Amino acid sequence: MGRASQIVYGALGVVLFLAGWEVIGQYRLAGLTWPPLSTVIEFLGTSSRWPLFGRALASTMSSAATGFLIGVSLGLVLALGVHLLPRLRPGTDRLAAMVNAIPAIALGPILIVTFDRAGTPAALAAIHVFFLVYVAVSSGLTAAQRAQQDLLTVLGAKRTMRLKLLEAPAALPAFASSLKVALSASILGAILGEWFGAPRGLGVIILNAMENFQIPLLWSAVLLAAGISLALFGLATWLERAVHRRFR
Amino acid sequence: MTRHGLSQIWGILLLFLAWQLWVTAGAYNAIVIPRPLDVLADLVTDPSAYLEPTAATVLVAVLGLALGTLLGAGLAIAAWTSRVLAGMLTPLGLVFSSVPVVCLIPVLARLFGYDERTVLAVVAVITFFPCFVFTAAGLRATPPMTAELFRSLGARRAKVLLRLALPAAVPQMMIALRVTAAQSILAAMVAEFLMGTGGLGNLFAVSHTDFKMSRAFGASLVAMVLSTVVYAATARAERRVRERWT
Repeated sequence: MGRASQIVYGALGVVLFLAGWEVIGQYRLAGLTWPPLSTVIEFLGTSSRWPLFGRALASTMSSAATGFLIGVSLGLVLALGVHLLPRLRPGTDRLAAMVNAIPAIALGPILIVTFDRAGTPAALAAIHVFFLVYVAVSSGLTAAQRAQQDLLTVLGAKRTMRLKLLEAPAALPAFASSLKVALSASILGAILGEWFGAPRGLGVIILNAMENFQIPLLWSAVLLAAGISLALFGLATWLERAVHRRFR
Repeated sequence: MTRHGLSQIWGILLLFLAWQLWVTAGAYNAIVIPRPLDVLADLVTDPSAYLEPTAATVLVAVLGLALGTLLGAGLAIAAWTSRVLAGMLTPLGLVFSSVPVVCLIPVLARLFGYDERTVLAVVAVITFFPCFVFTAAGLRATPPMTAELFRSLGARRAKVLLRLALPAAVPQMMIALRVTAAQSILAAMVAEFLMGTGGLGNLFAVSHTDFKMSRAFGASLVAMVLSTVVYAATARAERRVRERWT
């Protein structure tokens, strides 16, 4: 399939999807709780609501960004640590996998006690991000080819030198790929974290709108959240391609 | 315990030890955070309380997985038969796989009502997109020249699908299963927590409001172990399939 027809078909698919959303909403095929797309967009476009969405968005984004930075740093540090001390690796792998398997609803109460309600979204985002980055980087660091390792060792490169010249660059593509998934994971973690009584944020709007039957508000907030993760995903895909071109 | 075993689990032991010490030293009330030993004690002394919720969560997760896989694979096959459909669906599939599905729970709850159907829908939606993306990729990844061989031998489209494309897609579908199966238990639990429809999520919610924190965390512990076991099992199954198939 040519690139042009790919774009045309893809656009057609998106348009049909949006049209389907509108039609289902207009004719109430899915009941009263499925608003037409135009209603949701009109709701989002009303300027009197912008401060509300703006505040929520800023809060969620700053939680996600904080969580993202903490999670990425933790994941990188721990992956480097187990790379330099391989004996610690099996235990750390298990620990990371288990932390990732703790249900979010159980983490919620623990995080509230530890970081209070306002800090919980960032903490939950950090945990999600940490796992993705740790897994990708710790396996990426071992991706360098054996022969290249041996060459550097024979030439007298020390451990840190080998890491800098060979292993770290070899891990970059995996790191970039993990950042891509981690970005959406950080938004998800922040919104989930807001469900445990955060003072403001998109997650708070989503949950309150569900409970109070404010259907256009509910869909607007969800659409906003989805739009943001999509935009970040697109940005990260572009970044990932650039890194893969350079380092592979 | 063998040295090998200890090298695997020291991290987890350390975490539990830190938890126990943290709660004891911080003198948190047992209503806020239970001690890990109390949680284990509750699990051991009253296992029957966990039995039914666990079965409910596993059942809804399995049904949701099956439903999502069926829909995802079905749509992938539809996309395989038609170039136009494939061109239309592939970007949508990619778009949706980056949407935070758990955030959709409130929307689904409003669409399906506050009951098990929503929990089922959540698991199905989570399973659906990865299954569609991976199966579609697998259906196209037939070994080189085999499609030409089938065509020159005069095989019908349905036969090519059954004998060539679907078997070629199985390893990819296993990846989708590994990605989603463990996730489905945790997602079901979040949905049950919000819906209050039985299962481990509901056990957590009810015990939490009754200040039975040991039981609430016991429910989480069960879900955690379940999802870890499911992940290990699906990862092993995926490896097996990959070794046999390729």
